[in-house]
Amino acid sequence: MTTPKGTRSLYREFLIEEYVVEQEPFYVPVADEVGLFEAAYAQKIPVLLKGPTGCGKTRFIEYMAWRLGRPLTTVRPKEKGPSAPQNGRGVPLVTVACHEDLTASDLVGRYLLEGEETRWIDGPLTRAVKVGAICYLDEIVEARKDTTVLIHPLTDHRRFLPIEKRGHILQAADGFLLCISYNPGYQSAMKDLKHSTRQRFVSIEFNYPNRDVEAQVVQHESGVSPAIAETLARLGEKVRNLKDHGLQEGASTRLLIYAGKLISQGITPRRACQIAIVWAVTDDHEVQRSLEEVVASIFE
Amino acid sequence: MNPRLRELEQELRKFPASVVDEFRRAAEVAQVHLPDTDLLSWAQQGVDMAHQTARAWEAASAYFRSSPQVLGHLSPSQLLEWGRCGSSLCGDSPALAVAFFQDSPAMAPHVQPHLMAKWANLGRAFYRGTWKSCALATKFFEVSSGLLGQMRYEEVEEFAGLARALSQKSFDLATESLLQGQQVLPKLGGHRLPFLKLVTSLVDTSWREVKECFDVVPKVLAKVHTQHRDRLFSLATLLAPHAKGSISLFLSETATALGKADAASQGLLLAMAEQLVPIGPEAAGPFLLNSPAILGRISLQQLPQWFQTGVSLLQERQEGGLAYFRLESATSEQVLESLSSAVELDRVKEIMRLYCRALAGAQTDIAPTTELVSKNIGWVSERRATTEGTTVYLPPQVERYGSKEANFALLKVLATHQAAHIEFGSFGFSLEAPARRFRDLRFQREQQMRTQAGKRSETRPPDGDSPGLGATVPPNGQDGISGAPTPMGRFFDLFDNRRLALDIFTAVEDGRLDYQVQQAYLGLAPAYRRIQQDALVARPPLEGLPAQQAMVEFLVRLSLQQAKDLQHPEPFRREARAVARVARRVFHPQAMVEDSAEATLRIYDIIATLPNTPVEEEESGKEEERDGAPSDEQLDQWLQQFLGSRAGASAAQEGHPYESPPPVEYRGDFKPELAQLLSLLRQQQEQQRQQGPETARQVSPESLQQVLANTAELELDAEAGQLNHDLAAFAQNLMRETGATSASVQGQGQGPFLHMQEPQGGALEAKEPLCFVYNEWDFRAVDYKPRWCVVREKAMAEGEAQFFADTLRSYSTLTQQIRRQFEMLMPEAFRKIKHLPDGEEFDLDAVVEAINDKWCGVSPSEKLYWRRNKVARDVAVVFLMDMSASTAEAIDESRRRSDDWAPPDDPVEYMNWLRSRRGQGINRNHKRIIDLEKESTVLLIQALETIGDTYGIYGFSGYGRENVEFYVIKDIEESFSERIKRRIDKITPLHATRMGPAIRHATFKLARQDARTKLLLLISDGRPQDRGYSREGVEKEYAVHDTKMALTEARHQNITPFCLTVDRAGHDYLKTMCQDMGYEVLGDIHALPTRLPTLYRKLTF
Repeated sequence: MTTPKGTRSLYREFLIEEYVVEQEPFYVPVADEVGLFEAAYAQKIPVLLKGPTGCGKTRFIEYMAWRLGRPLTTVRPKEKGPSAPQNGRGVPLVTVACHEDLTASDLVGRYLLEGEETRWIDGPLTRAVKVGAICYLDEIVEARKDTTVLIHPLTDHRRFLPIEKRGHILQAADGFLLCISYNPGYQSAMKDLKHSTRQRFVSIEFNYPNRDVEAQVVQHESGVSPAIAETLARLGEKVRNLKDHGLQEGASTRLLIYAGKLISQGITPRRACQIAIVWAVTDDHEVQRSLEEVVASIFE
Repeated sequence: MNPRLRELEQELRKFPASVVDEFRRAAEVAQVHLPDTDLLSWAQQGVDMAHQTARAWEAASAYFRSSPQVLGHLSPSQLLEWGRCGSSLCGDSPALAVAFFQDSPAMAPHVQPHLMAKWANLGRAFYRGTWKSCALATKFFEVSSGLLGQMRYEEVEEFAGLARALSQKSFDLATESLLQGQQVLPKLGGHRLPFLKLVTSLVDTSWREVKECFDVVPKVLAKVHTQHRDRLFSLATLLAPHAKGSISLFLSETATALGKADAASQGLLLAMAEQLVPIGPEAAGPFLLNSPAILGRISLQQLPQWFQTGVSLLQERQEGGLAYFRLESATSEQVLESLSSAVELDRVKEIMRLYCRALAGAQTDIAPTTELVSKNIGWVSERRATTEGTTVYLPPQVERYGSKEANFALLKVLATHQAAHIEFGSFGFSLEAPARRFRDLRFQREQQMRTQAGKRSETRPPDGDSPGLGATVPPNGQDGISGAPTPMGRFFDLFDNRRLALDIFTAVEDGRLDYQVQQAYLGLAPAYRRIQQDALVARPPLEGLPAQQAMVEFLVRLSLQQAKDLQHPEPFRREARAVARVARRVFHPQAMVEDSAEATLRIYDIIATLPNTPVEEEESGKEEERDGAPSDEQLDQWLQQFLGSRAGASAAQEGHPYESPPPVEYRGDFKPELAQLLSLLRQQQEQQRQQGPETARQVSPESLQQVLANTAELELDAEAGQLNHDLAAFAQNLMRETGATSASVQGQGQGPFLHMQEPQGGALEAKEPLCFVYNEWDFRAVDYKPRWCVVREKAMAEGEAQFFADTLRSYSTLTQQIRRQFEMLMPEAFRKIKHLPDGEEFDLDAVVEAINDKWCGVSPSEKLYWRRNKVARDVAVVFLMDMSASTAEAIDESRRRSDDWAPPDDPVEYMNWLRSRRGQGINRNHKRIIDLEKESTVLLIQALETIGDTYGIYGFSGYGRENVEFYVIKDIEESFSERIKRRIDKITPLHATRMGPAIRHATFKLARQDARTKLLLLISDGRPQDRGYSREGVEKEYAVHDTKMALTEARHQNITPFCLTVDRAGHDYLKTMCQDMGYEVLGDIHALPTRLPTLYRKLTF
């Protein structure tokens, strides 16, 4: 997320559907993913983003929400909801992190008690459907199976969301697009995505960017010198070599950025890499030791 | 002649004529030396002697014969005394006296006369009235008379005592020891008494060993320093009562061990061993025996520290201390490890493996150099690190520096350099790929040579080639140019002198890698530079080297990044500058392996034309770095001019044949051609596997051999016959190395049982894939025996799936029942729980109720929420089945107590014993224990599949600690399939039951599972037992305690172990084995199939 400007440290509160990415998120396209997503959005085809953790899936979605919003501001429909997006920039982005206890009502909505009465409040998915936002379900496979089935009617030609408890059916607004992300690497077979679900999406595969791009990203995000950014990217490459050989998952770009941020705060590179990378990717002492040796080789 | 004498002579005529003859001859001499009275007494004594008994004349004859010889050494009275000794011996046995008299002359010169009598008594003491004792005494006189010349009388006395004591046990042995003593004792010098004392002390307890002790003496003499021999013998004497008949072995082994240390260390070691005697005499032997191994790891100064720890352990607990000194305890290993400055690859292997993988990519593996050398495919050095493109080989031990840190840094540098070969693509060399820092000449050069070779085959001009950038042609042009299958080989074909080219290429390429590594790994760079500096210091002086070698040496130094004060051979200042200029272009971040090759081409052109004669000048000049960076074109133009300018100096063939400079130690062995060859062969093999044998082009063994013969990378002894043989062997090994890998991966379950040689003790290694090494708990020592058991994981062979179906059918009722029980468990996992104070959502019913309550003025319930039962099943379970021979027993038979039979220790007997036990049940139609185990497995699988738990089923058996078999019936990650049904069929009784390692391996598998509940269910039919699975072969508790420890370890890993046994006598040892863990003894074995699923259900809820 973009940090608030200036020295302001007060928090800002948005209604879920009103959150719009205002400033251009930093994103370096690796291939044709931007064009693909634009095409899918135009044709209202749901998108599945595949890729290891921390490789930039969420950033990509933010970037796309921002990018798609710009030329479309005037076109955006304002049919429903008390607070349709203002003529600000960007398509509203509703992000839901999925977890194993995420229930249908967490997404669709539930009754709350208010005084002597119950009041219905919309869940994030419902809100996104109403305002025509991009709804991004992060780590979809973590959600329970009955939850994932819920999104089926939204993802085909019908584009509606049944709200059983109220007896409603909600037709999605025009700008609505469902995006899900999925990390095929470390889920157990139990948690694989059902085919009936996955075949409702087009998939864009992500991987860690190559060394140069990654160095560019690290440098921009963390503010370290180009040399250190390059070295961090190289370290990332080395650590990723160990995927499936001691590590379940390689060091993400995000971790490299963390390390970079610590370094630019004056932490020594070795220490920064230790806490941001080595200890973050594994608990195994032997593997830690190996990685520390790699770090010690790479950084002075 | 004295008339009296004549009378005596007359008297002697009664006896055989020889007596008179001897008398006459002796009398003549005696007359001269003896006064008359003594003469007569002397003669009288002889005559009296002859009269004593029937054969006493023989003694008299000997008396007369020896008299003249002893006369000179004895006074008259002593002579008579001597005679009296003899005649009194004669009273016992004339033969004794004969021997005495006969051997006297030999000793008379060496001993004081008064000892004669004593000596006679020594001999007499042997005599016990039998002819054997007489023969022994005779032997003694013979041996000792000779020995007295060389050793003191007391020593002989001691020796006699020994022989006499021995004769109580066996005359033959006593005789033999006399003979051995005759050989050995003279050589022993001053160490005789301690040695004799040692041997004498053995007589009472283990007299059979005496002979071996004598045998071992020469070895002791050869290995142990003079000043320590006495100590060794006295030490052995002290140890003898504890050694239980192995003192000669102790002497022999200790001598070997001590032989590896110098005199001073020997003293220290012996002193330490002496210290051990009062505390724990049994430890002294192992300590000395292991001393070379210990001193191999720690210095003499560190030894006392290690020793003291052992001593205090020994004082505390005998067994613990013993294991410590035997190096069979983890503590001992730890102390050694912490003291040692050496870094052992074994200990850091995992770290280095991941390190190299991180650097060079995931396919990279790591192994000790010894492994590569043993493959015999061209690499010979065990000391130097190397790589063949996929595996980084590191020396097993690094101990160049005084501290562990420094040694580890060195190991890291070694590994990094080798990994750099892979990371920076040394082996990816291609002739066609463009260089980045040079204009490409390689391909062009090859074309050029090909056409030249074509011409040549017609005309064959003499082998003189123009210098300059046009290169020389290899002697066997055609083979060289088209024959090499690898780019590297083709590249080296461009050179006349392949060795020179290889050396240049190695120096340049290693230099490039050093540069790259230091650029890429800033953190490692300081250590790297330090080691480079050390390598530089170790380089040989330039002076006196032939010019070519001097230039290569110059290049090596340059590649070690010696920028300043670089020496070069003075007369070739210009050439050196040119070399440096070319080489420095490679030390650049952009440079690739192709650049190294281009540089090699150019440098070779410069060096190859130098006359290889020693450089005359004493002083060598300094080369200063001064040029900027010329462009490719400039450089080549410049070189062209340069080589043209010294066209006259082309005296290349003169002088010494070229020899390689010594290798740079830390860079290890670099064999690019072989590495490429290996990967090529592997690739072909791979292709063949995929496309069938016909399609892939193959390198034939002959052409391979040809390539090997050409390459400069093999260090071969140049004996012609041997050479061919070696090459053939290399070629074969190479083929095998690349081809056989696929075939041997599938280890077969119950293949033919290989009899393994029992190792003498000590840690084991997991050398093959799917082998795992585990510690074993020694409860007496209260310590682990490090790396003691090898578990071999094997896939169970596959049989018929019919068994599975049959079992389900025969237990159909039970199956239904079990399934129902387990299915009932399922909904529980997802049940909605209402009336909760906190939950997923409001329970609207409850809310309505609460509102009603409120309206009625009743305080409403706060429990308004509902939640799904979150206790989802998350169980991983491993079933470990005893497949020991005893499970072959038929059930109906009256079961023998399993304690009744103990396995014999001898390997061969043991196998027979196993076979007979296994055979007992086989021919019957009764169900065996194993059958019930199998059936239970089937039912259990049925149940587990219903409930969806993660489970693994394994069987274990084995034979000895180096051979614990671990059969995979269903791996924990495997999903249930037909194959598993078929595997169940093949569960059969095999060998013994070494439970500990099997449990540890199962634990290892379970620990990797990410489940909330982990269960280890052990199903066995009796107590754990195996050959050597006990202490000194007797204590059954050893096995029980090790098993207990393994179970405890499992518990520490959050695994719940449970033992189920069908051995009715199980209570006694299970009580110990499972103390506070769950166990169950099944009274009725038939209940197993019913009981197991029920038990499982209970355990997991």
